Amino acid sequence: MAASSSSSSNIQLPGADELEPIAVRQRGFKHVLRLLLKSKTGTVGAALVLIVVLIAVFAPLLATHNPGQVDPINRLKPPSWLSEGAGGHLLGTDNLGRDIWSRIVYGSRVSLIVGIGAVLVSGAIGAVLGLLAAYYGRWVDALIMRVADAFIAIPTILLMLVVLAVVGPGLGTLIFVIGFTNWVSYARVVRGEVLSIKERDFVKAAKAVGSRNSRVIFRHILPNVLSSFIVISGMNVATTIILEASLSFLGLGITPPDVSWGGMLSDGRQYVATSWWVATFPGIAITVTVLGVIFLGDWLRDVLDPRMKA
Amino acid sequence: MKRTWMKSITALVLVMLVVSGCGNAANSPAADPGTNNASPNNGTLTIANATDIESFDFHNNNTTVSESVLVNMFDYLIKNDNDGNKLPVLATSWEQVDDTTWRFVLRDDVTFHNGDSFTAADVKFTLERVATDGTLKQNSLYKQITAVNIVDDHTVDIVTDGPDPLLLNRLSRMGSGMLPSKYIEEKGMDEFLKAPVGTGPYKFGSWQRDDRVELLKNENYFGDAPKWDKVVFRSIPEASTRVSELLTGGVDIIASVPSTDVGRIEGEGMNVVTAPIQRVLQLILRQTEGTPTADPKVREAIDLAIDKKAIVDSIAGGAGILTRTSVTPGNFGADPSLYEQSLYDVDQAKQLLQDAGYANGGPEVSMSVQSQYSEYAQVVGAMLTEVGFKVNLDVLEASTFSEKMTSKTFGEIFMIGIGNSMNDASNNYTRYLAERAKGETDYNNPEVEELLQAASQNMNPEEREKQYQQVQQIFAKERPAVYLFQMEGMYGVGAKVDFSPRRDEMYFADEISPKN
Amino acid sequence: MILRLLPVHSPGGNEAVGKFIAKSLLQMIPVLVLISLIVFILVRVTGDPVALMLPETATDEDRALLTQELGLNEPLYKQYGLFIVNAVQGDFGTSFRYNQPALPLVLERLPASFELAVAAMVFAIVIAVPAGIWSAVKRNTFSDLFISGFSVLGKAMPNFWMGIMLILFLSVIFKIFPVSGRGGFSHLVLPAITLGVGLAAQMTRLIRSSMLEILSQDYIRTARSKGIVEAVVVGKHALRNGLIPVVTIMSLQFTSLIGGTLITETVFAWPGLGQLLVSAVNTHDMAIVQAAVFVIAVFVILMNLLTDVVYRLLDPRIKYS
Repeated sequence: MAASSSSSSNIQLPGADELEPIAVRQRGFKHVLRLLLKSKTGTVGAALVLIVVLIAVFAPLLATHNPGQVDPINRLKPPSWLSEGAGGHLLGTDNLGRDIWSRIVYGSRVSLIVGIGAVLVSGAIGAVLGLLAAYYGRWVDALIMRVADAFIAIPTILLMLVVLAVVGPGLGTLIFVIGFTNWVSYARVVRGEVLSIKERDFVKAAKAVGSRNSRVIFRHILPNVLSSFIVISGMNVATTIILEASLSFLGLGITPPDVSWGGMLSDGRQYVATSWWVATFPGIAITVTVLGVIFLGDWLRDVLDPRMKA
Repeated sequence: MKRTWMKSITALVLVMLVVSGCGNAANSPAADPGTNNASPNNGTLTIANATDIESFDFHNNNTTVSESVLVNMFDYLIKNDNDGNKLPVLATSWEQVDDTTWRFVLRDDVTFHNGDSFTAADVKFTLERVATDGTLKQNSLYKQITAVNIVDDHTVDIVTDGPDPLLLNRLSRMGSGMLPSKYIEEKGMDEFLKAPVGTGPYKFGSWQRDDRVELLKNENYFGDAPKWDKVVFRSIPEASTRVSELLTGGVDIIASVPSTDVGRIEGEGMNVVTAPIQRVLQLILRQTEGTPTADPKVREAIDLAIDKKAIVDSIAGGAGILTRTSVTPGNFGADPSLYEQSLYDVDQAKQLLQDAGYANGGPEVSMSVQSQYSEYAQVVGAMLTEVGFKVNLDVLEASTFSEKMTSKTFGEIFMIGIGNSMNDASNNYTRYLAERAKGETDYNNPEVEELLQAASQNMNPEEREKQYQQVQQIFAKERPAVYLFQMEGMYGVGAKVDFSPRRDEMYFADEISPKN
Repeated sequence: MILRLLPVHSPGGNEAVGKFIAKSLLQMIPVLVLISLIVFILVRVTGDPVALMLPETATDEDRALLTQELGLNEPLYKQYGLFIVNAVQGDFGTSFRYNQPALPLVLERLPASFELAVAAMVFAIVIAVPAGIWSAVKRNTFSDLFISGFSVLGKAMPNFWMGIMLILFLSVIFKIFPVSGRGGFSHLVLPAITLGVGLAAQMTRLIRSSMLEILSQDYIRTARSKGIVEAVVVGKHALRNGLIPVVTIMSLQFTSLIGGTLITETVFAWPGLGQLLVSAVNTHDMAIVQAAVFVIAVFVILMNLLTDVVYRLLDPRIKYS
């Protein structure tokens, strides 16, 4: 429970610690770092994710060109370090003559925003529904779980496709739609966790003392499901980045002038055999990021959730 | 016990296989290995399009791809050659009886694929069906036909609701493929769709939706003996997959080759052939009062700001012909003085914007485009931005785009490629008739309105041609639309086949021949 | 021994299974009702079906007539009622693209997609079971790292990309497999790999971790200490328990496999449900979308039920609750 300590302790009331049977000890950043460095893949994952985040944050400093600047005369120029490469374009230019490096740099923002945004939305929906289902039980539980069953029986990508076709693609819509269709795994996990926690003494005690439901949920139960939450979210950020690419392929991804890696990869697929750099670099960006997120997620799972530990 | 585990899993997998196997049997035509790698030498021609036909009901299709396939199975009374001349097919001769009546003499040696002979009754059945059944996708272009009168077994009079200079054009396109009246009346349309029957050089073999249409040689064809034993039309949506199929010899002809793949295809000893098609890529501008594009100076600035040649040379891979009119050669009424012409002058465009009162930053305009043309729109957007416009690009997927078009809710500009299956200038201007234009472009020029209305009923071709040419000159000045270029079809052709593409994008299999 | 009883030997087992199936089937009903609601809402917010179904040149009367025909001027709850009544009779409306009832069009495509999904699953099992076991047994060796690395890569690569690459290398350059279309076994290979690779990756990871868990458990240690050969320990004792998650994941992943067909079928021009759906969504052919979502949902639920039953047969510890 080490990593969740800093966040969960903030929400806890004074006095809640006595009721808390699970050891949530204040251990601080150094300890986490030491744990992280012990795991090779964890270190690699964290480093990759950190790099991507830094690129996204400092995009304006790193980009060499305006990512939207079209230059049809200089289209499909190879990377500058190749013999026939165009000067000044580190990773070459795409089908409209735009600088691929700058687009990847700015695209990292969209990929991260979509990935994290969608996870936040689906996490929030899932958490609320899962908590409600577990806490109130009976028909509330039955209803919510049946809704979850219904959602799970329809392939996510299909649901998204239909909604996006109706609402029209766009960054905000995409985040909302992915979030809205992906909440089931959160709801299920949260529900399961809460059901097992609910029976524990500290929650019973809190209820016995007369805490209101909302208070019990937010002060006692939520911090405890946080770890499972983080574990699923890691995986979901990864799948969301891939999903965005798939939706771009089906023509319903991010639309210009916004830049996304998925869109770049999808647009570049036409040039695989003739101008390999157009799709290869965004492809590498996606793969590396997803790799980092998965590695980091695996490590988090091992640390946060010993029961799931391999 | 380990074995039990494995058994259970194996059993599960087997159940799945059996279930899917049952399905296979029901779809036997698809499960025919080898159709894919057929070489043209055994008499099979395989053509890959990006989409499938919609149905074998010729009157209920409205895509060029559908027509390009179905023309091999059904015949028209007359057909177009590549220059727009009318050639006899099922009709041997035709004449205008009066302003509203045309008489057609039919061939007497034609039979449908099921053996029924083709007579005047079939013409009557076919044309009256498409003219009266409002649910058919082709109906709106055939409503003008009010009756088909049988004169004798092989002579018919076709009557229109008014003078119709377009009748011959209607009869040489997809809504007028001749259907077997007796067969359909006896068996019903549903049966017909399962086993469709026409008079064409190829007869129905099989259809697996979104996969392939297979047509077989019609041994009893009334014309020259068909060249191929079998013609297969495959539907392969992904462009790179189509190219790969061509490169590996899986298909003989592919449509819509990405311009960047030309070198690859030619490097394999295959050909890429291009031909101008009926489609002109253009920007349609809203002239509603209060919109920036209501100002003719702004519209002219848009025209002058766009370097059409650069667009054709780069993104289109050279496959385009500059034009200042949408009526391209081969269509009735074309004005050659505006063809292969283009204006481009950035300084003048900036000056015009300044004159129009946009000294500090040009007007803000929205430009909607279907995702298919998104590349072009991004480049056009960049060029407009260059002279001072602020462009909000709105990329829409196809059906949302057409929804917005129907509801007339586009902003200042929408980019669209418009084809012309009527081979006539009138088709290019229906959008600008005052009633239709209302709410969409709000274009309203009484002079143009008068010319268009007069031309639509004018049975004198010389006069009518002048009227349309006049309209084109006015359009070139007023710019209710800015024309970018006439598109060209790019086809990849395997080493074993000779194919010259047509302006109307049809694949008449017998115009395609095996190479020796 | 964790697994002592085989289901056939368990007293009352069949009866319990029967009850379980009956109960599960009963539980399908509310789920289907909810799905119908989701579908209904989706389809009704798609803007104006009338505008989509009529040509640009249609008159106002044409529109009014069609609105009447589709019952679109009724209040929403009535429309939903009508929708349900029709759906129960298998009537999901007429596809305006094909001008035919939607349900048969959808059912006609099911076998092709099913064939692809099953092939993908078989591929995933064939790859993942040995890879997962191997990397657990050889934990922290080079081959473990190699397999783990590959399985993460398999997850990190978008489907369509994989498909295009496979075509480019295995069809165009090395000419081993046909490029596209449905036909014999050779046509199935590339799309099945494309569709199955993500699942294989996930299964490998899962089998690895569940094998690791089991290998560290007491009874395995006991077996080892008794001097039983390692291969027997792994093969006989660990494997059967380690495979339980495979069955679970097969059931859970069926939905996403079907979802994956949307992309795989488009890349490989495979004439299944996925391609039908993509074109239906693109043309807003909502009758097809409705019918397909329903058919897929029912199919997925039944598949889950089937795997659930198998799972329960395999593992008598699970109660039929």
